[in-house]
Amino acid sequence: MEKTQSHYNRIAAIFFLAVGVFFALYARTVEIGSWNEPGPGFLPFWAGVVLAAMAVALLLGSFARKAWPLRPSFFPQAGSWKRVLATFLALIAYNLFLPYFGFTVTTFLFLIFLVRFIFPQNWMRTLLVSVLGAAAARLLFINFLETQLPKGFLGF
Amino acid sequence: MDIFTHIALGAQVLFTPLNLFFCFVGVLMGTLVGVLPGLGPTAAIALLLPNTFHVSPVTAIIMLAGIYYGAMYGGSTTSILVNIPGEAASVITCLDGYKMALNGRAGPALGIAAFGSFIAGTVSIIGLMLVAPPLAKFALAFGPPEYFSLMLLGIIILIYLASGSILKALMMFVFGLLLSTIGMDAISGTQRLTFGLLELSDGVGLIPAIMGLFGVAEVIANVEEEIKRTVISTKLKNLLPNLQDWRDSFWPILRGSVLGFFIGILPGPAPVISAFSSYAIEKKISKHPEKFGTGVIEGVAGPEAANNAATGGAFIPLFTLGIPVNSVIAILLGAFMIHGIQPGPMIITKHADLFWGTVMSMYLGNAMLLVLNLPLIGLWVQVLKVPYPILFPFILLFCLIGVYSLNYSLVEVALMIGFGIFGYLARKFQFEMAPLVLAIVIGPMMENNLRLSLVISQGSPMIFLEHPISAVFIFITLILLISPFVPWIGRRRQKLQEKVEREKV
Repeated sequence: MEKTQSHYNRIAAIFFLAVGVFFALYARTVEIGSWNEPGPGFLPFWAGVVLAAMAVALLLGSFARKAWPLRPSFFPQAGSWKRVLATFLALIAYNLFLPYFGFTVTTFLFLIFLVRFIFPQNWMRTLLVSVLGAAAARLLFINFLETQLPKGFLGF
Repeated sequence: MDIFTHIALGAQVLFTPLNLFFCFVGVLMGTLVGVLPGLGPTAAIALLLPNTFHVSPVTAIIMLAGIYYGAMYGGSTTSILVNIPGEAASVITCLDGYKMALNGRAGPALGIAAFGSFIAGTVSIIGLMLVAPPLAKFALAFGPPEYFSLMLLGIIILIYLASGSILKALMMFVFGLLLSTIGMDAISGTQRLTFGLLELSDGVGLIPAIMGLFGVAEVIANVEEEIKRTVISTKLKNLLPNLQDWRDSFWPILRGSVLGFFIGILPGPAPVISAFSSYAIEKKISKHPEKFGTGVIEGVAGPEAANNAATGGAFIPLFTLGIPVNSVIAILLGAFMIHGIQPGPMIITKHADLFWGTVMSMYLGNAMLLVLNLPLIGLWVQVLKVPYPILFPFILLFCLIGVYSLNYSLVEVALMIGFGIFGYLARKFQFEMAPLVLAIVIGPMMENNLRLSLVISQGSPMIFLEHPISAVFIFITLILLISPFVPWIGRRRQKLQEKVEREKV
């Protein structure tokens, strides 16, 4: 089914309503203060209330009967969601594995995965790019810029 | 002290091997990210910021500024040769620039874009030199209420000029304000919303936020589908525009420069807006408006001049008021603070070397860009040929390492990935990024000024109306907020946006 902008607005409104309410409630755990003497919770509380109010306005507005522009489907191609999800997972995996496998190995695996599986390249090209890329990144960041990157249990 | 003393001071700062080198690196990186679609100047500046921590602030700002105006040059190259704008400000250049390339006139199109940018860059630097110091003197009279009102006005102008719904832009701004309150409260020292994480007590880092919103989110949006690119590979000879080309472009370049400079001072995506406006004006006053879109040189010269001039104008609020007008300037402001420079009207007098050194570096940087972009155009065409499937893992890698090397913190890397997910989704839901980024940067400043004002007035919010300068700012803010509801103005604004959006597609 084709979605209109009003569907999108409704989902976003519910998200921001939750965010606003959350901040307003959380701000109450620190001192809000008064107009005379605003405390650390002053801005978070009022900004949370304002955000929630605006979210409600957006939500109500999304029920208005008018010619909402049709939006193209969320993902432009059938396989898009797989690539988007895989890329995000690769980023998260990089963050998790970095302290254990060390910079060089993690970078090598990260490059192999993305080059081979997102827009599939042949293995020859994948290995060439990943080996050269990981080696160049190591030279640049560790040997040249002397960035303190984790070495991992392998020790390099 | 006259202006020549200042210029001499600036030159003295600039002409050291280190500063010259960083100026060159800046414009080189700028051209590179301008050429590469999917990596804009915002992400590039955020990426290189950590590498400037060990040099002096002047050197850092010289390089970061170079990236900003350098990207405007590079962006035009892809518009003309591939019909894909390297960044948003070059969208309009595609219309006539690409047609010129199809007609076999890629050379003059690239040439006039580079020369036009150079002339406009120079005009806007002169403007910056003349306007900034007196404005800074005026701003010395500002107290907390004036600053708060001015920041409010700035953000409302930004939201007003943003392309989507005003309500949604306001929501992004308030959301950014909320994020900016995370961390230790500057006045009372209370930990707010840190969830027990040590990394959050300094607040949500600007760099992880920007790398996530502009770096990661853009790459993710680009892996959705494979972009087919065909580079026009005609011989790139005759880069120099002929006499007729110059005659046709002279006035458009000058008009574009002046227009871009003044639009640049206003908050908002000035390079984009000024390029669109310049194109519209040139089309309107042209003797042959029907030829626009078929490859006329005025359609390249005007907008390219305008978007470059706008980058110069955008530095004025930064140096005089310490207020950022767009995401790039916001990061530069962040850089000031990291290097321990208090932003505000005192910068020009207190850090004269910083201001004049940066101004002088812009002259030289523009000259360097002319050399980089004309004789070396072949090199950039080669860069364009690197396939995206090979390129994007490296962009992500740079984002990961860039954020990690800030504080050696994996929490910040996770934060960046989180912002990446948010930025990707927010784009899908048609929310703008700029109000969010600006709010994260100026949120703490706004909060402090608000609370200081209320302390001064002993709790009366009327202080914002009792101070005359502040009252004027508040008044304009209210007019801007109400005006979309006035049917006549609201309709015109909507029409303008529809027009802009249509031409973007």
